[in-house]
Amino acid sequence: MQNIKETVQEVVYAVLPITAVVIILQFTLIWLPMEVFLQFLVGVVMVSMGLIFFLVGAHLGLLPVGEMIGAALPKMGKAWLVVFFGILLGFVVTIAEPDVRVLATQVDLVSGGDISKSLLIYTVALGVAIFVGLAMLRIILSIPLTYLIVGGYGLIFLVAAFTPAHYVPISFDAGGVTTGPMTVPFILALGVGVATVLGGKSASTDGFGLVALASIGPVLAVLILGVIFG
Amino acid sequence: MTGIRVFTGFGHVLEEVALALIPLIILFIFFQVFFLKLPRHKLKNVFVGLVFTFIGLALFLQGVHVGFLPVGEQMGIALGNLPSKWILVVVGFILGFVATFAEPAVRILNYEVEKVSSGYIPQQVMLYTLSIGVAVSIALSMVRIIYGIPLWYFIIPGYLIALILIRFSSQTFVAIAFDSGGVATGPMTVTFVLAMAIGVASAIEGRDPLLDGFGMITLVALAPILSVLILGLLYGGKEKENERELERDA
Repeated sequence: MQNIKETVQEVVYAVLPITAVVIILQFTLIWLPMEVFLQFLVGVVMVSMGLIFFLVGAHLGLLPVGEMIGAALPKMGKAWLVVFFGILLGFVVTIAEPDVRVLATQVDLVSGGDISKSLLIYTVALGVAIFVGLAMLRIILSIPLTYLIVGGYGLIFLVAAFTPAHYVPISFDAGGVTTGPMTVPFILALGVGVATVLGGKSASTDGFGLVALASIGPVLAVLILGVIFG
Repeated sequence: MTGIRVFTGFGHVLEEVALALIPLIILFIFFQVFFLKLPRHKLKNVFVGLVFTFIGLALFLQGVHVGFLPVGEQMGIALGNLPSKWILVVVGFILGFVATFAEPAVRILNYEVEKVSSGYIPQQVMLYTLSIGVAVSIALSMVRIIYGIPLWYFIIPGYLIALILIRFSSQTFVAIAFDSGGVATGPMTVTFVLAMAIGVASAIEGRDPLLDGFGMITLVALAPILSVLILGLLYGGKEKENERELERDA
């Protein structure tokens, strides 16, 4: 029960400050029709309730499972299996990530359907998947994180030179939304699980950096999408 | 458009949520059958958790669809049509500051950094640095929209500074810094504040919402990375100095 209370508090802290500022803005600067403003409040209530259910559910079901799968993976004995399932998990978790869906919806709306929602979601998921795989390889082969980060961003700037301008902001934003309420805990749990079982190495530094890599992947993937479709 | 819409289009949202969760459930079943073999009572927890996740995701997305996206955009348009554009910059700064200051994920990061730096970076210092960092990020996003400045002018120097700082930071700090990019992009930023930015971009003449509206999340994600690296460097120097003093004393 403590868990639920904490979650409620967490959501209130995340939602309330901006809601308060918006309410102040409404009655000082904006003066939208009352009906529209009430619609905003309906949104606040639904989003808060939704986040509470989502987080409680994730703590109860998905996250322990993520940790168990993370711990079970290395016991399979074969490195390529660990990497393969890491990739699969990265893909599947990103598809379920709320923030990714919201961004994709907005891109779909603003581009008038040119960059469709599902295309963007699957591209982002693919990007996350490949980089989670790389992150697993990194832990197994003990490659320093900095090499991958510097290399990853180097590659991003290189590909970006060939991508149409209007894909660039979207691709970078896609990197930001993969660090949402679903992906981060799941991927962290996975990383810590793998790092702990492989043993010998410091679990904390190896587990860290997974999220960083998971947000390079989608940027690259969407930039490449731009090169192909733009 | 009359009346308040609450469950308009909820059927589509339910369908979407089902499609979003099914791959994850299939993967879990696979692991359960071949590797995990969880006992019944644990399986029950997972099932209840999944039901909660389903309900939560559906409510969240529905709230975003009927509330945040349309209203955020309209508010952005209203703000963008105001005669004095500098207000946008102020509003952006305030939104960024209050959102980060209260965000639970930020507090967890601050605690972690204090621990890793063995107390050299106090949580309060980190909290204010981050909040101001994100505030500046959203304010800059507004400046970017008002003047139509390409995102490159902000990202290239931003990441260049980050990459240079990496050279002087420890591995642990680099890992924490780049992982922390996500702490500030909370659920409100991605939904409501982004919708607002898109509204502003569509209200100001000559701006393309696709080109100028998006990109805000990027700048918000950059703020914690730079904050952690810079603070790590500033206080890291202090730490070494202190170690030298200790050696002298001994």
